[in-house]
Amino acid sequence: MKMRDTPSAVWPALLAVAVLAGCATTAPKDTSYAVLLKSPDGSVGKVVLRGNQGEQLLSQERQGALLNGSQAPTLVDEATLQRDFGEAMAARPELPEHFTLYFESGGTQLTQESANQLRGIVERAGKRASMDVSVIGHSDTVGKSDINEALALKRAQSVAELLRSKGIKLDSLSVESHGKRNLLVPTPDETPEPRNRRVEVSIR
Amino acid sequence: MNIRPVAMCLLLAAALSAWADDAPIGYVKTLTGTASITTGKNKVTAQLGTPLFQGSTLKTGAKSSMGVTFKDDTVMSFGSDTELTVDEYLYAPSQGKLKLGSSMAKGSMNYVSGVIAKLQPDAVSVKTPTGTIGVRGTQFVVKVDEPAK
Repeated sequence: MKMRDTPSAVWPALLAVAVLAGCATTAPKDTSYAVLLKSPDGSVGKVVLRGNQGEQLLSQERQGALLNGSQAPTLVDEATLQRDFGEAMAARPELPEHFTLYFESGGTQLTQESANQLRGIVERAGKRASMDVSVIGHSDTVGKSDINEALALKRAQSVAELLRSKGIKLDSLSVESHGKRNLLVPTPDETPEPRNRRVEVSIR
Repeated sequence: MNIRPVAMCLLLAAALSAWADDAPIGYVKTLTGTASITTGKNKVTAQLGTPLFQGSTLKTGAKSSMGVTFKDDTVMSFGSDTELTVDEYLYAPSQGKLKLGSSMAKGSMNYVSGVIAKLQPDAVSVKTPTGTIGVRGTQFVVKVDEPAK
């Protein structure tokens, strides 16, 4: 069965099958449904529909099913997708972008490579109509927690200031420190690890 | 006055992030026609950059659409005559606090899940009048028709 015709033609048919399957009630016609799409990264994930008439799993691209769970999934064609979801799909914001900047040990000095990367971030950010930026600072595990917490915050603040000084206009800028609580590379305490001395910049 | 505006902004941002519940959880990124964001008793007309909060209800009018991006990179966009409430939003990965619960009363939506679904897939759901969608990390679309009167 394909959901490609007008809803008035298709949904009664779906309901009829539901009646035959013995799981439909006298409830009014129910047309709400969901369709799994390929993710922007090219993967296809999963969606579970837990309805008042059953449970369905969507696990293939363009598989759709009623939200009430009464129907096994069927493939939904492009025309139906465009008709029902064209507006919502067209309104999808540009996806967030992430950058990681690294620091010399013990301070807020960016590595040369990361300092060179700033210009690219500013350029990418400048292309967005509405932008918010989060800057999260991290440290490695050398030193006490509170000192690392403060150091990671200083790193984040220095990056935020650099971004502003390069002319990024921000609707919103959030600056946070995760100290040594969120290691990129897990290490024991008191381990110098350049990859953990970092600031993550997210442009949304 | 020797505190530079930048420093003041940073202080403010740091202070705001301390009040987790009051901090924005996302922002309006795309808009056509008219839409609104209602948080508690406060209703504002949506514009690019309008913040969303835990508990906000997002509505689009006729022939309108809106797209929003959340702090964890979840991206939702809505077609006309849509209503969605963000019931619960927790995003503190370093403390293991992750939750994105929303309810959709009507309309159409394109959903791209973010970090919360990646780290804790069972923490992301969309309630609708006839069933609950469990988001296991991917893109999907959903259409909710109001129940017949």
